[in-house]
Amino acid sequence: MKERIGTIALLVLLLASCAPKEEAIIISPEDYHSSVDKVTEVMIHDIFSPPVASRIFAYPNVAAYQILAQKHDDYKSLAGQARDLTEIPAPANPEVINYELAALIAHIDMSKKLIFSEDRIETYRDSLYAIWSDKNETVFNASKAYALEVSDHIGAWMDGDNYKQTRTMPKFTVNSENPSRWQPTPPAYMSGIEPHWSKIRPFVIDSAAQFKPLPPPLFSMEEGTDFFKEVKEVYDISQEITAKGDDSEEVAIAQFWDCNPYVSVTRGHLMFATKKITPGAHWIGIVKIATRKTNSDFAKTVYAYTKTSMAIADAFISCWDEKYRSNLIRPETLINEHIDDSWEPVLQTPPFPEYTSGHSVVSGAAGITLTSIFGDNFAFDDDTEIPYGLPVRSFKSFNAAADEAAISRMYGGIHYRAAVNVGVKQGRDLGQFVVDNLDMN
Amino acid sequence: MNRILSIFFGSLLVASCAKQGDLFKNPSPSETGIQFENLLSESENLSILDYLYFYNGGGVAIGDINNDGLPDIYFTGNQVKNKLYLNKGNLKFEDITESAGVEGQSSWNTGTVMADVNGDGFLDIYACAVVGINGFDGYNELFINNGDNTFTESAAAYGLDFDSYSSNAAFFDYDLDGDLDMYLLNHAVHTQNSYGKYDLRFERNYETGDKLLRNDSGKFVDVSEEAGIFGGINAYGLGLAISDFNLDGYPDVYVGNDFHEDDYYYLNNGDGTFTESLRAYFGHTSRFSMGSDVADINGDGRPDLISLDMLPEDEVALKSSEGDDNIQTQRLRINEFGYHYQFTRNMLFINQPDGNYLETALMSGVSATDWSWSALFGDYDQDGKQDLFVSNGIPKRPNDLDFINFLSSDQIKSKIDNTKLVDQEALGLMPSGTASNYIFKGTEGLGFEDMSTSWITNDTLISGATAMGDLDGDGDLDLVTNNLFAPARLYINKTDAQRNYLNLKLNFSEKNQFGVGSKVYAYTNGKLQFKELFPSRGFQASSEPIVHFGFGNSTQVDSMKIVWPNKQFQVLKDVSVNQTIIVSPEGTKPFSYGQLTPAANPLFTKIPDSLGLDYVHEEDIYTDFNREKLIPYQISDQGPAVALGDLNGDGYTDIYFGASKYKSAKVYIQTDSGFEASYYPELVRDSIKENVDAVISDFNNDQTMDILISSGGGDFFGESEELLDQLYLQNDKGFEKQELPKLFQNSSVIRPYDIDDDGDLDVFIGGHTLTSNFGVPIPSQLLINENGQFSEQKGFANNGFRGMVTDALWDDWNKDGQTDLIVIGEWMSPTFFENRNGQFIQVQGIELNGLWQTIEAFDIDSDGDKDYLLGNWGTNSKFKASTAFPMKLYRHDFDNNGQIETITAMEKNGTYYPLESLDGLSSQMVVLKKRFTNYKSFAGTTMDGLFPEEVLSQATILEVNTLHSGYLKNNNGTFEFVPFGPELQLSPIKDFVSDDFDGDGNAEVLIGGNYFGVKPYHGRFDSFPGALLENEEKVTLGNQLGLDFTKKSIRHLKIIEFKGEKHLLVVFNNDRAQLYKYNN
Repeated sequence: MKERIGTIALLVLLLASCAPKEEAIIISPEDYHSSVDKVTEVMIHDIFSPPVASRIFAYPNVAAYQILAQKHDDYKSLAGQARDLTEIPAPANPEVINYELAALIAHIDMSKKLIFSEDRIETYRDSLYAIWSDKNETVFNASKAYALEVSDHIGAWMDGDNYKQTRTMPKFTVNSENPSRWQPTPPAYMSGIEPHWSKIRPFVIDSAAQFKPLPPPLFSMEEGTDFFKEVKEVYDISQEITAKGDDSEEVAIAQFWDCNPYVSVTRGHLMFATKKITPGAHWIGIVKIATRKTNSDFAKTVYAYTKTSMAIADAFISCWDEKYRSNLIRPETLINEHIDDSWEPVLQTPPFPEYTSGHSVVSGAAGITLTSIFGDNFAFDDDTEIPYGLPVRSFKSFNAAADEAAISRMYGGIHYRAAVNVGVKQGRDLGQFVVDNLDMN
Repeated sequence: MNRILSIFFGSLLVASCAKQGDLFKNPSPSETGIQFENLLSESENLSILDYLYFYNGGGVAIGDINNDGLPDIYFTGNQVKNKLYLNKGNLKFEDITESAGVEGQSSWNTGTVMADVNGDGFLDIYACAVVGINGFDGYNELFINNGDNTFTESAAAYGLDFDSYSSNAAFFDYDLDGDLDMYLLNHAVHTQNSYGKYDLRFERNYETGDKLLRNDSGKFVDVSEEAGIFGGINAYGLGLAISDFNLDGYPDVYVGNDFHEDDYYYLNNGDGTFTESLRAYFGHTSRFSMGSDVADINGDGRPDLISLDMLPEDEVALKSSEGDDNIQTQRLRINEFGYHYQFTRNMLFINQPDGNYLETALMSGVSATDWSWSALFGDYDQDGKQDLFVSNGIPKRPNDLDFINFLSSDQIKSKIDNTKLVDQEALGLMPSGTASNYIFKGTEGLGFEDMSTSWITNDTLISGATAMGDLDGDGDLDLVTNNLFAPARLYINKTDAQRNYLNLKLNFSEKNQFGVGSKVYAYTNGKLQFKELFPSRGFQASSEPIVHFGFGNSTQVDSMKIVWPNKQFQVLKDVSVNQTIIVSPEGTKPFSYGQLTPAANPLFTKIPDSLGLDYVHEEDIYTDFNREKLIPYQISDQGPAVALGDLNGDGYTDIYFGASKYKSAKVYIQTDSGFEASYYPELVRDSIKENVDAVISDFNNDQTMDILISSGGGDFFGESEELLDQLYLQNDKGFEKQELPKLFQNSSVIRPYDIDDDGDLDVFIGGHTLTSNFGVPIPSQLLINENGQFSEQKGFANNGFRGMVTDALWDDWNKDGQTDLIVIGEWMSPTFFENRNGQFIQVQGIELNGLWQTIEAFDIDSDGDKDYLLGNWGTNSKFKASTAFPMKLYRHDFDNNGQIETITAMEKNGTYYPLESLDGLSSQMVVLKKRFTNYKSFAGTTMDGLFPEEVLSQATILEVNTLHSGYLKNNNGTFEFVPFGPELQLSPIKDFVSDDFDGDGNAEVLIGGNYFGVKPYHGRFDSFPGALLENEEKVTLGNQLGLDFTKKSIRHLKIIEFKGEKHLLVVFNNDRAQLYKYNN
């Protein structure tokens, strides 16, 4: 009896495989979210600094978006808009292609090019490939072929952004003779990361220096000067909020927006890192929240990711340009030297110069971009950090979230007020430029 | 039947457990009765995550507690109880812990020592404990020997019942009042959230700070503060070595501190106080200092020191473990935090007459023994040379890079609580750090030969504290290791009667009957062996209080001198070997310690104010490794330039110093009374250039001296004017710049010679490197001078010669009456050019690529022809090169991004491995991050595995066949390379100068060196004290000549006349120039 069932099952299987299925392959926005999440996860594992991470988000989204723009009249191609981008090839047999599927495959393939641990993406990809291929091999193969062709096109464009060249440029040299200059900070005293990021080709803005902010207050550790007041303010705020305890609102805000991809912990010979998502990744998480909340369709979802990730990438280029121009010393170094040698910031100081605050610039830019897509006063519950043990926080608008992200850096003890205030403005100006200059829909 | 079976199994067991090395056998616990096993059990609240020294293990002490002639063994355990084993003879031991009352009360014991604390002739036992953290309670216990195999715990009565974080202790008489005092070694535990500055050591902390306890009639008084002993919260004390390092009769202390705190070198002032003097005498130390030991390994009567660290020898462990700091972090730690130079490897310090040390671990072959705990010197094979045993191993490597970067995070993602970030599961992901213990055979010439695979059986033990003694009474040295998760291991020495020994038991004074602090000098056949008796040695241990010597085949010791702790001595003559003798003070006479440091009669005397020559060279902060991350050494630190000549025409020799980038050149004019700095605006204006070499001569025949300067510095690139060499012609108004052929390169030397015999000097200018193109050989030039107008001699320029030239020498090497040219450089062979009527033709020379630095002609073998001395990198380095296995430098655009990368590779066990770590390589070639997504996949990767053959085959490969400095011996016109002895291989040799320094009518050569332009992985080549070479045999180190070269990096040795007398001018990179007068 059992044997017979087995034989029948086998026969059915055989039959099934003989006649290819022609089911529709439905690609939902959730499938795209899932791919973005996968890249985020691999990025955390591989450890990418915030600027590099922003680049890894942007290019795969552009690839996906460009494919969708072939199909949807509502969305306009970025060719000629994004710097140096030429039109992707048209599909050979458009009638067979599932554009959503091709967009998703291009996203996965571009992502694989950008991260280190390719096997992690491959495992994910191959399981999806198996499902799609099973459903409709013809459509799958055609869509995949097209996706990979586009991925090559976008990949070639990406390779011209000076990233490879910046890998071999000089390391940052610490200037220990000038007291205003950035010094590596505890506990790992890492070298300044990405000192040449301003040389990366931006997506939309004219040049890295287009939104060059005002210089920071003139360095002086004499009491009464603006600069000293700012240093003291960081210290005072920190003392005040840590006195209130870990449950205080300010500490909660600082930790919520920490977004440090590599917090090194050393205990004797024992060293390890706690790793989280980057500031850019947090805002990518907010894109997901907003598209879900609005039940956005696949195309709008990709559009939102693409526009936001391009703004974020440009924000990092703009911010890093200023960071290594002003090359300003972090509060932790000055406070330890001048005020309190045992003071530690609530957050670990990240390894690059202080001015302006990266999170502020990026949040400013992302807030403006998201507002342009979903409107102002878009209230949302931000659960992006739940996987990292942090709670949900609620915001009444994207710009309100950006304001909180900016001020969190002062609560965290890693930025002065000027870097936060000027930074968020720098980001918003840049975001507005991106919104004004990109004609996507 | 049953009985037969069990006998059969019994013998099987014995057979399988008694392992054998060629020199040591390891009887099993069932044979010896020593079942002690330091078992650890990790729990929720106690693991390496909670206590950083969770894996440091217990202690072991050997000593004869019942004076029956058989040394007994005491073990301390962490979570297991301590054990005392009475030696019953024939390697049978009885556990008498309980009846003896020495089990101990503390939760967590660490080191232990045996010493006769109360001076009754019976050894007492001190057991250290960690108390007050992790719920550990108890205190350091002192078990006073009742003389009947029982003990009474009496720590409180003696004032030694400390409840702190103790590692170990040593009993010795520091104030020479006749009784034993104690040094207590404690360790810090504070989390390393910040380094803290070095001055943390000045603030005393009870739990973590070391203590010095003075024995005041049986009561130990804490005198740490008044005696100058540091006791801060940043000292992770793990190593403790007592020795009279400076041979003044008062015992000194070397403390090895783990992590960032410096080691401490306490010199005993003889008045009850110590002066911590590390920086004065040690250029650098081990970084994660662990155990240490002292012995005279080169037979010069001075105690030498080894300090252990944790550098793995194995490629896989090496490349997957966190290593040294990067160069910027190191600078920060030194310049901002005030710590000394520390590097992650074992250090072997050879004690010198001027108090400095030669650090030779790399060339001695003992630098990398993995996670090492105990070092014990002993003449294990009794050949008269000190051998070395090193115990090692750790159950989990917490410095594993994959754990740090990847594994830990995956485990802890959902656990954000900072104190419990990592759980047992994460612990399981740290790789095991077991490695076989090491044993080395001492050889002539500071070398040690690794005998680990033959003398002892290979093991996977985690061995910590180790003690030695003659357990089986056969005269040779046996060892005992206290192991984690395994029974203690006995290493029973099988030398037996093959080579001769002598053991001394000392019977000194009432309160120090075992004679702790005594020195014994043994002379046989003109050879000296020197030993001190300080039983606390190695790591958390004390050895049997005897003095053991091996004498090879000598059957008699010509004489022995015993210097007692009270500075009295006696001599024993013609002592027969192969016996244990008991020596008591008898017919003693006062010993003069002054005689050990022979009256200084140096060749040179340093002139304190250098006659006004206050030149200090300051190197700029440019770091080559920030731009070319993978080059093997810097090229930017070859200055300053120095030239001598009568610049103002007053008949006295003046001095030009060319400075580094952005610093002004300086001229010192010689006057009747000395030297005066003089201002030349034309020279100062060019201070942007980095001067590497200079020559003063009247190049345009106008009877005034001109200056020719070569420029380098490795920073300016392309066609930067700053790279151009420069001629300054002097006239009435001062100096005027004169155009030279434009050479956009980093030049090295200028070597002048009148090639065309027209009365003015022509020059050879050595080309070293084009900036950012390390390893590309470039042309050098001959510039022909016509009245101050220089032009390239095209014939030379077109001859095809390329190199990374560092030096050149005009000399008629073929004795045809025409002056020829020899050019040397890095990654190349000495290159000979023959002068054929003014044309220089490269001829077949010797094929021997080196990192040649300097050349000098000298008839070293007094055979009437000239030999050529060659300074090379030396062998005391992580570089390794031979003709069979050259060191290789691959140059290629490996990642296809339009920029050339260099990869240095060296052979290990017949295969080539890249020198750099994955982080290092991928900082220049990010593509490798895709190839190797974790450190494990990279560790052990050979050059062939790093890139496919088709890529590697496109690379240009440079090679070095030897790193030895030496000389080209001229055998009637053919040259043979002869390496110098080991004392001249310590550091790169940077200059030679020849003169009759000692006034004996013959020329000698003075040698200077040391070099710091390498990454922290390579350390600092800082301990070469200079040397005087008289002939092939005779070399005298500079520390016996009155020269102050140690810890400084020489660039030029020059001879200058002042008031008709020759003086030696020594010019350093980044340091103050020195002037010496000759004493003969």
